[in-house]
Amino acid sequence: MPYLGSEEVVKELRRALSNPNVQADRLRYKNYITKVIRYMTQGLDVSALFMDMVKASATVDIVQKKLVYLYMCTYASDKPDLALLAINTLRKDCADPNPMVRGLALRNMCNFRMPGMTEYIEQPIVAGLRDKASYVRRVAVLGCAKMHSLQPNTEIDGTIVNELYALLRDPDPVVVVNCLRALEEILKDEGGVVINKPIAHHLLNRMKDLDSWAQSEVLTFLLRYRPRSDDELFDILSLLDAFLLSSHAHVAVATLRLFLHLASAHPTVQADALLRTSAPLLATCGAASRELRFAGLCHVQQVMRSQPGLFGTHYKRFFCGYSEPSYIKFRKMEILVELVNDENVALVLEELRSYCTDVSPELAQAAIAAIGRIARTYSEKCLDILTGLLGLKQDHITSAVIQTFRDLVWFCPQSTAAVCQTVGACVDSPQDSEGKQALLWLLGEHGDQISSAPYVMEGYIDGLKTELSSAVKMELLTAAVKMFLCRPAETQDMLGRLLHYCIEEESDVCVRDRALLYYRLLQRGVEETRKVVTGPKSDPSMSVLTGRQEEPISEWDSTFNTLGPLAGCDLCPQTAATSAADQPSYDAEEEISLSLGPPLSHETFEKMWLDLETLHRQTLGFPRPRAAPDTLQAALQLVKIQTLAFTPGDTVPWKAYIYTRSTETLILAELLQGDQQAPGSDESLVVSVKQQPVNHMLLNLFFFFFALYDISLLTSTCMLQ
Amino acid sequence: MINDYIFILKAVCHTLTQTSSHQVLICRNYKGDVDMSEIDHFFTLLMQQEEEGLLCPVMSHGNVHFLWIKHSNLYLVATTNKNSNASLVYSFLYKLVEVFTEYFKELEEESIQDNFVVVYELLDELMDFGFPQTTDSKILQEYITQQGNKLEVAKTKVPTTVTNAVSWRSEGIRYKKNEVFIDVIESINVLVNANGSVMSSDIVGSIKLKTMLSGMPELRLGLNDRMLFALTGDKGKTTVTMEDVKFHQCVRLSRFESDRTISFIPPDGESELMSYRINTHVKPLIWIESVIEKFSHSRVEIMVKAKGQFKKQSVANNVEIRVPVPSDADSPKFKTSTGHAKYVPEKNLVVWSIKSFPGGKELLMRAHFCLPSVENHETEGRPPITVKFEIPYFTVSGIQVRYMKIIEKSGYQALPWVRYITQSGDYQLRTNT
Repeated sequence: MPYLGSEEVVKELRRALSNPNVQADRLRYKNYITKVIRYMTQGLDVSALFMDMVKASATVDIVQKKLVYLYMCTYASDKPDLALLAINTLRKDCADPNPMVRGLALRNMCNFRMPGMTEYIEQPIVAGLRDKASYVRRVAVLGCAKMHSLQPNTEIDGTIVNELYALLRDPDPVVVVNCLRALEEILKDEGGVVINKPIAHHLLNRMKDLDSWAQSEVLTFLLRYRPRSDDELFDILSLLDAFLLSSHAHVAVATLRLFLHLASAHPTVQADALLRTSAPLLATCGAASRELRFAGLCHVQQVMRSQPGLFGTHYKRFFCGYSEPSYIKFRKMEILVELVNDENVALVLEELRSYCTDVSPELAQAAIAAIGRIARTYSEKCLDILTGLLGLKQDHITSAVIQTFRDLVWFCPQSTAAVCQTVGACVDSPQDSEGKQALLWLLGEHGDQISSAPYVMEGYIDGLKTELSSAVKMELLTAAVKMFLCRPAETQDMLGRLLHYCIEEESDVCVRDRALLYYRLLQRGVEETRKVVTGPKSDPSMSVLTGRQEEPISEWDSTFNTLGPLAGCDLCPQTAATSAADQPSYDAEEEISLSLGPPLSHETFEKMWLDLETLHRQTLGFPRPRAAPDTLQAALQLVKIQTLAFTPGDTVPWKAYIYTRSTETLILAELLQGDQQAPGSDESLVVSVKQQPVNHMLLNLFFFFFALYDISLLTSTCMLQ
Repeated sequence: MINDYIFILKAVCHTLTQTSSHQVLICRNYKGDVDMSEIDHFFTLLMQQEEEGLLCPVMSHGNVHFLWIKHSNLYLVATTNKNSNASLVYSFLYKLVEVFTEYFKELEEESIQDNFVVVYELLDELMDFGFPQTTDSKILQEYITQQGNKLEVAKTKVPTTVTNAVSWRSEGIRYKKNEVFIDVIESINVLVNANGSVMSSDIVGSIKLKTMLSGMPELRLGLNDRMLFALTGDKGKTTVTMEDVKFHQCVRLSRFESDRTISFIPPDGESELMSYRINTHVKPLIWIESVIEKFSHSRVEIMVKAKGQFKKQSVANNVEIRVPVPSDADSPKFKTSTGHAKYVPEKNLVVWSIKSFPGGKELLMRAHFCLPSVENHETEGRPPITVKFEIPYFTVSGIQVRYMKIIEKSGYQALPWVRYITQSGDYQLRTNT
């Protein structure tokens, strides 16, 4: 490799480059220069040749020039003093009659990342901005941004900024977009380039001349513009219309984002835009390039958060191809779960079933989990499939099925009997700790319904010495105690052995402490233990909520078409466009208001509800609203209150769970009517409020909004009649 | 959209130590915001995710995001520290692949190393300071040529297209004989599940041009009515609707919307004028019935019946039916009614190729393999049977070119030639075993 004897190589190259015979023969000379660049690419330090290379830049051969420039840009920051020598040549080239040479020299001069460059490049850049060749103007405009990035903390040069704004009217489309890009960089600290009405409309009118990259970027810049009136808004939307169906996926998606943003006050327009982009979005999901396909799927997932039905009929498009990479398959399965309805459930399940036996265990497990999700609505069919999978006797499948059963029983208690029957009949047990934990949980929780439960558990207790995972041991302790409470005669002996082992011989301190805790608890008596261990479970009335709610578009449109949804996490929303305009200005005194914020999952809500203490309970002076659930939900959203769940229709007691946010605090509330245990609840609503963290100031505010809700509700129901 | 770097990397496998590393073939630093050594994290992340089976085309390390695509054994990686538009970055990376492929025929390690000067030149013109600049390979080819090292002093004129109004065609093109070749190509995608029902099927069509015309000609393409109705989504008059119709940027969309004429100034040479997709139930043109019987420890018997479900007058050419076999199979024996079968052990496939397959015919192939008596413990997937074919003079959708008018101000006579081909796209039939 060139790393060995690099000095030799450099010496030899220098000898060749300075040889007058070589210099006379252009072809040979250039071959040596190419050789230098090749070594540079391979990571060899050839910076010692700087002087010889500078000399080589004085040539009429444009390719040779490019090579030398590339060399200089790479080493300029290491050898600033020598680089200064090259500047004269470059400045001379900036005045060359050939625009290609002018552009090239200017671009490379701006790429020298070394201090003190500004004074040399400023004049050529300003001249370049007024060059008659658009090629040079393009380079000069970006040069302004490069110059600024060399000295990020200096005063912004007003004349250059003005000149750039003026160049937005340039006939060359690339110059126009480069101006926007440069201004954005230069004015970063002041919130980026300002898009006022004339600029916005100018850009909109130039859109069709731009290449697809530029279109995408201009659309992102336009997010910053707020139309003054509805007429203007609709003018803009009709100009943008054609781009919704652009042949470039990234343009179509960027247009959709702008549409959603501009039309945020017109839900019907938003819905229409989503409907019309559904075809191009679906097309992206079948794109030849798998990365684009992946991006398309992520976008579809976001759209489905608000319009779950939009892709319902196209579910077959989300069936996985054999050779697709697993990241695509995972996304497709997630989408399929959301798309299931009465008509397609049989086909979707059949498809998912075939993925369960995939070679990749991760994929198989994901498919099983997906069937588990569908089972919350279509239990019977799914349980048949899952039970069938147990018959395959594959470790990873058995484990995944058992875990799915555990979650299913938790979310969908009516399937408990069927699950217990299957688990009871299942002979092999999972081998990995996740699966073991799931099985133990099921045995503990529903031991009364699984006849073989004590024998299975005894097996685990006997094999305790060889068990490595402490999580499994903890689960075993809990399960054994629960089982003891419902089947004491069969369990007492083994529970004793288990506790003894865990307290006396176990090395893991967590397991030991847990065992001690149960031991002391049991000393206080069986009833006391029962109260603690078998606390409240999942509320069966919650089961109405399994269907996912439609979220408002505003929940996700700010991250649409960014990296966030692809990476699967919330990246800081630092997209160029939104940072400047959408930041609400905070006044000196902090304003308290409610906001919707990210939605809570049912699981988190439930956990928090059980964990938190009731802060306040109040009987309201009016009975529960009689409106249909979706009207009620919409009315509540108007006052920024999210609905998690309702009991259906006229059930008594009637319950609803709602939540909202205010600055840092999450407010959870339960509405209750007609509960025998709560006094005063038979005629009017009782509200219980919990907060995390507690903030008493917010409490009053909440009720203020609550009164508002009553009013808004009345109006909305009146409107419906 | 700001890329700090574009890297082209190569994965290097050390078979002895079972570890992989990487080698940067070409790297271009556009902005200088991100340190170059960040790329080391890319490969660590890649290896880690690959092991966990959770590969993702976006990876993050700190606030640096890597967006990558893989082309043969090369990785093209863009790094950014902005929360940018992902589809745009991927499109750009694929654009790079496209441009390089047009320059070097094939983008691979050797072609990059042999042409690294041109690669640098291209990377310089394609993007500046992290923003895409000139990406049209036709235009790039006018001022960056592979013959660059021939040392031409004259080669310093700015091509007109760099500043031209019609950015996709330069002025002053001359041909002795003026001709346009129009190819109408439809690819059929079919997925059939193991019990023989068609899960999904669609047609992806495209009209490709090879233009050899002088000057700045104005072209008008006429399609049959049925297709035009489908194109404009006129529901009353047709049963097919086209989704996802895309035109080349040269087509005047306003004219198309007002009077349904497709008029344009074509780019020189080869280009795709339009593409469309029809999502409809297509009868699979070649139907496959297969019986794969696996007798553990002894043998596998395969019977494949192929039926041409298209017009008797048409013929499917270069048909290839690829049937998967277990990886430990050996001693193949074949019997075919037409064509010949070949065992490709490195892909675990039997490839049955038939030169010409007339419509309505039914052909048969039997294969017999031995299996070792020692059982293979590795579980294998169940790859589908895939089919490749080409049917000339025929389109499934019924699209037809009615006319192609060519008008140029010098008034020359030009000839349009039309060809129709239907071919297989993603054509898969799942198997039972």
